[in-house]
Amino acid sequence: MSDAVLDKQVKKPKTRKSKIDPEIGVELSWKTLKTQKQLIFMSVPIALYLIIFNYVPIWGWLMAFQNYRPAVSFGQQEWVGLQQFKFLFSDDTFLLVLRNTIAMSFINLVLGTVTAIGLALLLNEIKLKFFKRAVQSISYLPHFLSMVIAAGIVSTSLSIDGGIVNVVLMKLHLIQEPIMWLSEGKYFWGIIGASNVWKEVGWGTIIYLAAITSIDPSLYEAASIDGAKRFQKMRYITLPGIKATFVILLIMNIGHILDAGFELQYLLGNGLTVDYSQTIDIFVVKYGLAMGNYSLATAAGIFKTIVSVILVLIANNVAKRLGEERLL
Amino acid sequence: MHKTAKRSAKAAAAGVLALTLALTGCGSGNNTNTGGKNSATGGNASPAAAGDDTAPVTFSIFMNGPGQQPTPDNKILKQIKDKTGISFNMEFLVGDLQQKLGVMIAGGDYPDILSGDDKLINAKAYIPLEDLIEKYAPNLKKHYGDVWNQIKDESDGHIYVLPSYGVYQGKITEPTYQGPGFWLQKGVLEEMGYPTPKTLDEYFDIIAKYKEKHPEMIGFESLNFDWRVFPLQNPPEHLSGHPNDGAVVVDNNVAQIFADKDMSKTYYKKLNDINAQGLMDKEAFVQNYDQYLAKVASGKVIGMFDQHWNFQDGEKSLISQGKLENTYIGFPLLYPGAEEWYRDRGAVGTNRGFGISINAKDPVRIIKFWDKMITEDWQKTLQWGVKGEDYEVNADGSFYRTPEQRNNAEQTSWQVANKISGMFGYMPKIQGTYSDGNAADAGTQPQEFFDSLKPYDQKILKAYNKKSWSEFFKEPKENNIYFPAYSIVLKDGSPAQLAQSKLNDLMIKYLPKAIMASPAEFEGVWQDYVDRIHKLDIKAYEDRMNEGIQQRIEKWSVK
Repeated sequence: MSDAVLDKQVKKPKTRKSKIDPEIGVELSWKTLKTQKQLIFMSVPIALYLIIFNYVPIWGWLMAFQNYRPAVSFGQQEWVGLQQFKFLFSDDTFLLVLRNTIAMSFINLVLGTVTAIGLALLLNEIKLKFFKRAVQSISYLPHFLSMVIAAGIVSTSLSIDGGIVNVVLMKLHLIQEPIMWLSEGKYFWGIIGASNVWKEVGWGTIIYLAAITSIDPSLYEAASIDGAKRFQKMRYITLPGIKATFVILLIMNIGHILDAGFELQYLLGNGLTVDYSQTIDIFVVKYGLAMGNYSLATAAGIFKTIVSVILVLIANNVAKRLGEERLL
Repeated sequence: MHKTAKRSAKAAAAGVLALTLALTGCGSGNNTNTGGKNSATGGNASPAAAGDDTAPVTFSIFMNGPGQQPTPDNKILKQIKDKTGISFNMEFLVGDLQQKLGVMIAGGDYPDILSGDDKLINAKAYIPLEDLIEKYAPNLKKHYGDVWNQIKDESDGHIYVLPSYGVYQGKITEPTYQGPGFWLQKGVLEEMGYPTPKTLDEYFDIIAKYKEKHPEMIGFESLNFDWRVFPLQNPPEHLSGHPNDGAVVVDNNVAQIFADKDMSKTYYKKLNDINAQGLMDKEAFVQNYDQYLAKVASGKVIGMFDQHWNFQDGEKSLISQGKLENTYIGFPLLYPGAEEWYRDRGAVGTNRGFGISINAKDPVRIIKFWDKMITEDWQKTLQWGVKGEDYEVNADGSFYRTPEQRNNAEQTSWQVANKISGMFGYMPKIQGTYSDGNAADAGTQPQEFFDSLKPYDQKILKAYNKKSWSEFFKEPKENNIYFPAYSIVLKDGSPAQLAQSKLNDLMIKYLPKAIMASPAEFEGVWQDYVDRIHKLDIKAYEDRMNEGIQQRIEKWSVK
């Protein structure tokens, strides 16, 4: 809210030539630097950290254009141009894993966001403190499980030999005999989506609940006086109140759309579902790292990074045009 | 206010300075360290060359697998220290190996002794050993004499690692069988009147009959998980009388893949049939390794094809539950007319063992130490233990253990104080028999083995008129010189490697499909599978294998 106000204020002076940075709203000069020297000094270690760990390693991108061999000096590496990228995009498997990655990511993004907001809205309506806390704690506990354990729980629940999912469906007479969930490719994306909801919904809720608490209570009071019912208050106050948080999270998540995950797919996938279960990350491990083909792995990594950056910029731009909060 | 701000800025500056100092400190620390090592080499070189040195020295060792640290007052380590002056600083792997190796290689920070690893060889972390052995280690030279050419690194012909396993002398006595086979539960065999199946039909007949009486049991189990795909992929080569050469069979020194051949189709068609009969475990191809072991450990699996070591953890759990009747005996099933070759003489484990790193303080001392350790006296101490404490000697000179000594040897707490199994696993060792006829260790001494069995196992063996589990298989033939073909190195990123990897992917995907298909659909799935294999660059893979085989025949043939 306050940012938007600030934006409008600084938009006017932007037209005339000035040294005032429109984004920061402070004059950039030696004088400002001097007055803020303590702050700047304190930020030096952070900047160094970023440079050393986030920028220097970009040097390694050069590997994607080589036929990289470990323990051979840089000058002696064989340069192959765009060969690794050509291999990637002509390989059937890569196109398949790209499809799987985007599909699963999209499912996770939509399901994850919708269920998290839904649960947050419901929790917010609960007036009984103890019950609310209990539900919240229980729902975010699975977040702390390691993926290996989570995958074990999922595959046990889906087992045909007494797995809870088959037992329940049989008892409800929805199916005649147990289904081998994990052996059919067509179920795989759904299983991944559902497992992620189970594991992450409580955790995702926390941030929305925090956003809801920051909504001014007087808005609700005013709405009550105007005769708004519970659902109307949700619809017209709570949801718009968390819109900014939602947009920011969405932008951040869109940047991760090519990170559909590794562990869960790796642990739940098998020979029968491989056409649906392999993601880019698994592809990189299998054909890049496991085969000592670091160049191919790097090329796939570069591809991921570039797509992610472009997606974030687009999302940010769209948000800006829609007059929403934005990240950059 | 202003003052505090200033002070905090100073504090921050001090912090940054300290950080920088620490960083540079690290660098210079390393330098002094290497300096220290250099001077140590210089200082020690002359006395070591002069003769047997027993001055106290500590060598650091890294081992690329997890293991248990021996206790500080370990009996064997104490003996080694008393007689050679050498003590060890052992580091077993904790966490991820590749990560650990990456850090080690990047920093060039190697201990004195390293376990063998291809990655470390590529990074030139080892010193060549052949000259050292020629000069200082006559016993090692004798030990490795027959395989001298085989243990050289394929790329540059130096010996970097002394293989720990696969060098035999005397007779191979191997009572427990670790290799591939079609396994059946002892209880099943007992109930069915101790049959000896020889063909697939006989084998599955036993399973079918038993399952009819015990419908809650799982008929036939398999595994198609991660790299543990051999339970599904390897049977055709064994059934057709070939040893385990991996994804190829070699006839007359010519290798070819067998995944698309009739020998494979026959087997998977059979599995398709038994699946239709309900004998195949429906979950076999979706389970992971832990679930597989859990099924074995539940005692519900009637039989499976596997290599014994792969399901041994499940069997161990059965043994600890006292359910010996649910443990397994392997059978070498064959296609009609094929000659059995299930058991093989373990090939020498090239590049698996210990090597000396380029940072080693005193390579001569280390090689002399191993040379001493390979003598029979020391080997007996390392493998059997101390006479009178850990084993006894009969009037006729054969070694045995009392029940109490056997019991001791099974306790982990006893092992860490009285054995150095962790490190010994990587050391050069004698396998087979000593010159006095005793087996290399208690586990391979035939009579000792039989006596240490539980009564139930003894009963089963007596019923089959055998003394050990490996007797269910034929004595191994002499290895082909190139054996095993699966250890032929495919260059990283080469077409051959890519073809092999894609072939493996197809097998992982299509074999379960073919087995789970309805019998009417089997032909179609199989045809699709074979067509896809033929689209791959299989020739590149086979060519590389044949090239490797020819190279080995040429280089490894001794005299």
